Amino acid sequence: MNHNTREIDVAVIGGGPAGVAAAIAARENGAENVAVFERDREAGGILRQCIHPGFGLHTFGEELTGPEYMERFIKRAHEAGVEFSLNTMVFQMDEPLAENGGKTASFWTMNPDRGVERVKAKALVLAMGCRERPAGALGIAGDRPAGVYTAGTAQRFVNMEGFMPGTKAVIMGTGDIGLIMARRMMLEGAEVVAVFEIMPWVSGLRRNIAQCLDDFGIPYYLRHSVCELHGRERLEGVSVVEMDENRRPIEGSRKFIGCDTLLLAVGLIPENELSKMAGVKLDAMTNGPEVNEFLQTSAECVFAAGNVVVVYDLVDFVSEEGAKAGKSAALYALGKLSDGGREFRIETDSRIRIISPQKLTGGQDVTLYLRVGEPVEGKCELYAEHGLFSKTLRYARPGEMNEITLSAEKLQRLPADIKSIKIGLEVS
Amino acid sequence: MARVRECGYYDIIVIGCGIVGAAIARDLSRYALKIAVIDKSSDLPSGASRANSSMLHGGFDDEPGLLKAKLCAKGNRMYRPLSEELDFKIRDCGSFVCAKGAEEEKHIEKLYEQGKANGVIGLEIVSGDKLREKEPNAAPDITAALWCSSGAIVNNFEATLAFIDNACQNGASLFTETEVTGLLFDDAGANISGVSTNRGNFRAPIVINAAGTYTDVISRMAGDDSFKIYPTRGEYFIFDRSAGNLVTSFLFSCPSALGKGITVARTADDNLLIGPTSVRQTDREDTGTTIPGLDEAFEGAKRLVPRIPRNMSITTFAGVRANIDIGDFCIKAADKPRGFVNVAGIKSPGFTSAPAIAEYVAEIIKDSFGGIVKLEKNPTFNPERKHIPRFSELSNEERAELARKDPKWGQIVCRCESVTEAQVVEAVRRGARTVMGVKMWVRPGMGRCQGGFCSPMVVEILARELGLSPLEITRQGGNSKLLTGMTKSPLLPEELS
Repeated sequence: MNHNTREIDVAVIGGGPAGVAAAIAARENGAENVAVFERDREAGGILRQCIHPGFGLHTFGEELTGPEYMERFIKRAHEAGVEFSLNTMVFQMDEPLAENGGKTASFWTMNPDRGVERVKAKALVLAMGCRERPAGALGIAGDRPAGVYTAGTAQRFVNMEGFMPGTKAVIMGTGDIGLIMARRMMLEGAEVVAVFEIMPWVSGLRRNIAQCLDDFGIPYYLRHSVCELHGRERLEGVSVVEMDENRRPIEGSRKFIGCDTLLLAVGLIPENELSKMAGVKLDAMTNGPEVNEFLQTSAECVFAAGNVVVVYDLVDFVSEEGAKAGKSAALYALGKLSDGGREFRIETDSRIRIISPQKLTGGQDVTLYLRVGEPVEGKCELYAEHGLFSKTLRYARPGEMNEITLSAEKLQRLPADIKSIKIGLEVS
Repeated sequence: MARVRECGYYDIIVIGCGIVGAAIARDLSRYALKIAVIDKSSDLPSGASRANSSMLHGGFDDEPGLLKAKLCAKGNRMYRPLSEELDFKIRDCGSFVCAKGAEEEKHIEKLYEQGKANGVIGLEIVSGDKLREKEPNAAPDITAALWCSSGAIVNNFEATLAFIDNACQNGASLFTETEVTGLLFDDAGANISGVSTNRGNFRAPIVINAAGTYTDVISRMAGDDSFKIYPTRGEYFIFDRSAGNLVTSFLFSCPSALGKGITVARTADDNLLIGPTSVRQTDREDTGTTIPGLDEAFEGAKRLVPRIPRNMSITTFAGVRANIDIGDFCIKAADKPRGFVNVAGIKSPGFTSAPAIAEYVAEIIKDSFGGIVKLEKNPTFNPERKHIPRFSELSNEERAELARKDPKWGQIVCRCESVTEAQVVEAVRRGARTVMGVKMWVRPGMGRCQGGFCSPMVVEILARELGLSPLEITRQGGNSKLLTGMTKSPLLPEELS
């Protein structure tokens, strides 16, 4: 045999905000051996490259940079006795094994020093985060020159490696990383010509529009899309078209914009290759695992939290959900996790595009995170049917998540024949 | 005037290192010959050998009697043993030409007859229902199909690299970023004596013109303007692996005068591939995609497989075929200058035909140029070579074994395609010089994130292995630099005061 097998209580895949919070919570809730498997050289996940401030207002009441925010969690994790397997890629996930009367998670890791190892864990937390949608998915025509990056890749080059990806940039999409990178490029002396967004609304946070574009005089155009790249070697420019209400290009609106760099911030997708290998059920809308209030997936020993489940707007929520998943995983590993015994499906009206969790058992209080498909500007009523929840919102925008809290007690009091709970948004 | 640099004396120069040039070089490396292969691109394969359908055609598309009909059927039979000798990926998927209605059914019957005459084995006309038994996602209105069991799909990057890699192992020399600017002659133009390039003069009494879309330009330098190349663009989509299982075989539309029409296939690496369109252009290198072209490819593919999900496309690309105006491959030795051989117009089924073309060229050299070079056996010829081990296809035991020997096998740099640092390092050792070159060799960046995750690491490894600054690393040679400078340096404490 060329590999070791490690047996542990709780394995966490991914050392970003969700994973580290999960590992801490797993230790705090009695799990003995808790290990985080992180493919990068250090824990921290994407926050390592997010050197701008704005993190932790919700959790710590102060404004931290990404690395500062993560440092606090990583320190706590070390104090709590969490083991970190760094530089370690989980390259294969087995379907959970039936062992000792329950299920055991099993996966394979690769590390330059330790080679191939098999890990068996009584409970597993998936915390792999998300990835960026690449240019190919957009069907942009034209040449395929150097100078086209996703915003996150460019951010890594600038903030981690100290290299500039270009001198004159156009940004496609108003995702938060794109907005942050617009400002970053300006601060590093590059020119940012404009930001284009195909939708009639902004997909990132409003505060980022103000702080990253408006404050730096960078214009942004809604209902515009980059349709063609020009330049055989290095990017020389892009063609941009304006879109009509039906997202079709308006004839005669096409214009050429000279630039040597195109950064794409056109969406994030939960990273679920391993979830699929584990055989957990995915939600068609979130692209992440379907979970219940314990953040338990359809495979009972597998839990999931953070952007691998649904793409959040603020990292504070990611950490909170990570902690919940870690606690659930620890209790499961100790044979102490008991659900509420009910089976509710969460259903949504047409205004709500994504929601998570999707299933509830009434076992503990729960926060549902949701995003609307289109902005509602003006007062609206977010509700959960059966009188479970109601809140008046000033607006609801796709770039900002909304939360609904449901108490386990109220869920348990619902008549036995109620199997679904509808969540909706009433516009007044 | 400065003296032109001399780059050496060879027996044979092959211009162009696409699949044709590479296969010729490899076949000629069986003989004790000094061979130079020169190509103007930085990394191989480029041109149409990089961007094509990667199909091994059965050999029924062309009329009996044509050279390409003969060489295609023969090339197809040669590929399987070659894939074992040279270790490139091939998948025996079989192909269907799909007919809708009586008119097209008549056409596939004609193809069936042609195939039989060309010596193609494993042909059968099946009903639409029979097709859908094997391909449940095929369109319901396909009424009949021509099945060809010898149709296969190959990893075209690996195959091209395998031929040239083996040729070089057997003594051939490859010169990339070397562009032919003229031909050299002796005896008042009676004999060819070499080529002049941006690097200087390469001398040889035999020059083989396998320059793809530039074959007519090179031929004209030799005074032969008997054919003309019409560069013809074909646009394609590649889809995520999760869409790859929509089909198992290679599906063709019923062919037209322009080409074999839009196809839908699962590649040797399990992605879904659709395309190509067929549009003539003047530019020999414009491989940009166009909005109408992509729409046409997608609509054409939907006629074969209606439920292709456009949002699962991971990239698009275009290739430029070297279509020729004489209706057949043009492979022949020139009367004058003696020693010059054209291998031109190698459009589809060029990839399939390449190994047979190589043998055909060796025959020409034997028959016509016996007085110039002797084809004596290369005593050290080794027909076998190994590709860089593919981590994604190894067993966990094999992975563990490799990682124990070299920790770089334990460092995964591309998560989509499971590529390790060791593979990237070995690709550079074998000649990759750019991000694209590494991608051709070992696939980082070919997966669903399209290099978002791995490109910083590939740049770092390339720079380290080549002893360059990351600022000098290019995407695909020339001015395609990936990075434009350093970030501002932080102020040192003394600068702050």
